[in-house]
Amino acid sequence: MKKQTKEVKGKGLYEVLKAEVDEIIDESPLIKTFVMTPEEPFKFNTGEFIELTLDGLGEAPFTPSSSPFVTEKLEVTIMKTGYITSKFHDLKSGAILGIRGPFGRGYPVDRFIGKEILIVGGGCGLAPIRSLLFTLIEMKDQIEKVVLLYGSKTPTDCIYKPMFAKLNSIDKFETYRSADRPDGTEWDESIGLVTILLDQPMVDMDNSIAVVCGPPVMMKFATLRLLELGFSDDDIFLSMEKNMSCGLGKCGHCMMGEFFVCKDGPVFTYAEIKHSPEIWK
Amino acid sequence: MQKAIKINKDEWNRLLIKLSDAGERLYAPIRHNGVFDYELIDTESIGEIVYNEAKPASPLKIFFLPIRLNVTGGGKTPGRIIIIGAPACDIEGLKLLDAIYIDEKYTDESYLSRRQNAIIIGAPCHKTAENCHCTTYGVNPWPGDGCDISLSSTGEDIILTTMSEKGNGFMNEIKSLVDSTEPEAGDMETLKRLQEASAAEIADKNDGLPGKEETGKLVQAAESSFWKEHSSKCVSCGACAAICPTCTCFLLIDRPGFEKIKQQDTCQYPAFERVAGGEDPLKELSVRFHNRYMCKFVWKPERFGVLACTGCGRCIDACIAGISKNEVIREMT
Ligand code: SF4
Ligand code: SF4
Ligand code: FES
Repeated sequence: MKKQTKEVKGKGLYEVLKAEVDEIIDESPLIKTFVMTPEEPFKFNTGEFIELTLDGLGEAPFTPSSSPFVTEKLEVTIMKTGYITSKFHDLKSGAILGIRGPFGRGYPVDRFIGKEILIVGGGCGLAPIRSLLFTLIEMKDQIEKVVLLYGSKTPTDCIYKPMFAKLNSIDKFETYRSADRPDGTEWDESIGLVTILLDQPMVDMDNSIAVVCGPPVMMKFATLRLLELGFSDDDIFLSMEKNMSCGLGKCGHCMMGEFFVCKDGPVFTYAEIKHSPEIWK
Repeated sequence: MQKAIKINKDEWNRLLIKLSDAGERLYAPIRHNGVFDYELIDTESIGEIVYNEAKPASPLKIFFLPIRLNVTGGGKTPGRIIIIGAPACDIEGLKLLDAIYIDEKYTDESYLSRRQNAIIIGAPCHKTAENCHCTTYGVNPWPGDGCDISLSSTGEDIILTTMSEKGNGFMNEIKSLVDSTEPEAGDMETLKRLQEASAAEIADKNDGLPGKEETGKLVQAAESSFWKEHSSKCVSCGACAAICPTCTCFLLIDRPGFEKIKQQDTCQYPAFERVAGGEDPLKELSVRFHNRYMCKFVWKPERFGVLACTGCGRCIDACIAGISKNEVIREMT
């Protein structure tokens, strides 16, 4: 595995690194991917997040969806959910954005070595997972198997459509998809909530870990199902979505019990946070 | 080693004028209509400084965490300031602020430089205020480590005791500018008696108010109906947090040119934790209200090993709805 490096910045915690938007990809009616070129190569580890600034308007946290092994380009996938995200959606290529970060603790991929990895994603939660998948592809010789289960509201809402066939063609990778309901477009995959894909574990329960990322309700039910299947609390990795702002463990906006999600997370094992309040909100 | 000196009050006042004339920025509590608060002192106000009384209206954090600050300006580092008369509770509160703002990974330079450039002259409380309850949480009404010099007024004299290396340095500066003597054993005993009397008074007044550990347990155990009932009058104004020496949360506001303005914020305001997708763990008033107690008595202690309440009582003074944190806690028992 190639070494991922990490820069720790002390000064200029709030200064941004500028990045130009090269391309905007429509992933679904509500989700777009922004391909950017940062002014300087940008390093991050998979699962860490950045704060992305729209000049003068605001800043929001996103986990890059691109490969951590590519530092000249950075991709962020954004779902339109409110004011600032719709402003991002209004952008045209050529726009200049500001990046702060990377922040937090990403996926502890060293713990995935030698394992079968079951990944459950929902909606825009596939964005951090895509970056993880790029990492796992690089590590393919060190892991046993990767099973990706992904659910979207409708077939049209499924993002990164071309990625699934590519993954399925890679040795050790399998993908399965579901849509909550059909919408008339072509769909050869399952219909129902993503948890229906969790009828059987599909991985060797004695040697596997699970990764979950998606909307809170989906994370909740997927986690409960994984526990039922026999995953231990310590082997379920959750990527928490909180109102991250400073990214530095200072502003308090991301607090979840005694944790600063921005610094201690955003990736936690279920064991670490199961006693924290309101984890599914 | 602690060193103490005694300076006649008139001499002391002349010293302050000298320092102020030399361009030093001195802040001390000045009284206006009953309340007193830190002000930049000048020749006129030097005689009006309030010594050894609980407590300036503003918490000490205002010197280190301005309410609004451009954090991308790069800007000039503010020069030295001398803060006279900080109460022990507020000095205690700096422990938590330091833990949050000066961590090994992400040090907030604007906070650090302000801390480094401040000489904190703490003052034991010889006179307490209505809602003081520092002793309940194991904080003495006299400063310990955490300040640079401790100041006590005997009426005629000012006695200064060094509390840190920085304080030592400043004391040497002072000694070269003013006549001083060594305090007598009797002076020190009188001062000790005064501050211990304050401690006894505070302990007495707060008899039965649960201490640190017990409060944490109670706050955790109280049912949601309890919080609904006690928060019903709260109007989410955030005054309790703004005035609190340990509340430090902030908001980042964007300005054109990728400027960021850091502005004081609080979990008591609606939408503090709302995420882009709309989920808001603190949507309900009673949950927000409860959050503040959990943060102070459970989570910050778990995380940093210190309570996020120093017993200053300001939130009780400040609440326009008349909610007393201590009454709420007493109701839990
Ligand atoms: S919670 Fe209230 S009493 Fe405690 S430190 Fe803050 S303002 Fe003072
Ligand atoms: S000061 Fe009183 S009304 Fe205002 S937020 Fe605090 S508890 Fe609520
Ligand atoms: S985002 Fe500011 S403390 Fe976590």
